[in-house]
Amino acid sequence: MGLVALGFRAVPLLFFAGRQFPEKWDRLLRYLSYALLCSIISTTLFMKGARLETDAAPYRALALIVAVVIARRTKSAVTGMLVGMALVLALSWMR
Amino acid sequence: MKAAIPIWIAFVPSSIAWGIAAQDHGLTLEEIVLMSAWVYSGPAQFAVLGPLAENKSALQVLVAGSLMNLRFLPMSTALAPYFSGVQRLPLLFSSQVVSASSFIVPYLQFQKEQVSDIPRAGANGHGNLAFFLGVGATAYSIWVIGTAVGFGVALGFPSGFDEALRFILPGYFAGLLVVEMKSWAMALVCGASLVAAVPGALASQGWGWLITAIVIAISVWGVEEWKFRASKLS
Repeated sequence: MGLVALGFRAVPLLFFAGRQFPEKWDRLLRYLSYALLCSIISTTLFMKGARLETDAAPYRALALIVAVVIARRTKSAVTGMLVGMALVLALSWMR
Repeated sequence: MKAAIPIWIAFVPSSIAWGIAAQDHGLTLEEIVLMSAWVYSGPAQFAVLGPLAENKSALQVLVAGSLMNLRFLPMSTALAPYFSGVQRLPLLFSSQVVSASSFIVPYLQFQKEQVSDIPRAGANGHGNLAFFLGVGATAYSIWVIGTAVGFGVALGFPSGFDEALRFILPGYFAGLLVVEMKSWAMALVCGASLVAAVPGALASQGWGWLITAIVIAISVWGVEEWKFRASKLS
């Protein structure tokens, strides 16, 4: 499993280092990376194993929305994350 | 390095949690440290604990872990153009620390520099690799050490604080993405993936979220390409 993981990580770096992809392929790679990251965000936040955490999902979603809005307005990911953390903490305590 | 601090903070509880879970599933300290160092992938490591504890076949364990690790392929491919002039051996060693966290921070930084008029000092292939390793190698070390600590230490966080710690990484990733969001297509890719990942994962825990992400990215890209071609023809 480690070897397969290393293969997925190393092969593109070894063979494409320094190469500029045509603009359209570069864009596709960007979209694939963003889509995978957003999927990770979603599954990390809302799921535990194969189960959706329905009781916690609404306030985590609210905290995520607030974090995103704050990050966008302040142009600071850390500020957004800190506000989101504080909110999720407060909401989980109020539950 | 400053940009990596939230990743370090987030890695501490998650690595300790994995160490505890792995011990609970019967892995030894050596197996835990070796797996963390060699596989270095939180989702994949969590995914294989069940099959390992149930003595499932090596092939099943391999498939479960590899599905989770497929995401490294586009991430490494997207990073590769920024390491121009770096020799293969340093790249091979550096590739081990590619993760979602060590990808997103440098990648967004490199992109920002590409469109900015003021480049970072040493912003060439080697400089970029050093920046990448500053984020990736430190996060990697914290992950490996944290899983070893988790073997011996039970999580002592009050239950309410678990929620806040769990929010760090997704909250930071989302913030990084939204700060750099410039086009409708990127917003659509991110929004749709965020919404569709959970139903996808519910349909199939291993494949679902991965397939939905790939389908969404390719669909938006396809529509954009089609619009671009149509505008060129008219």
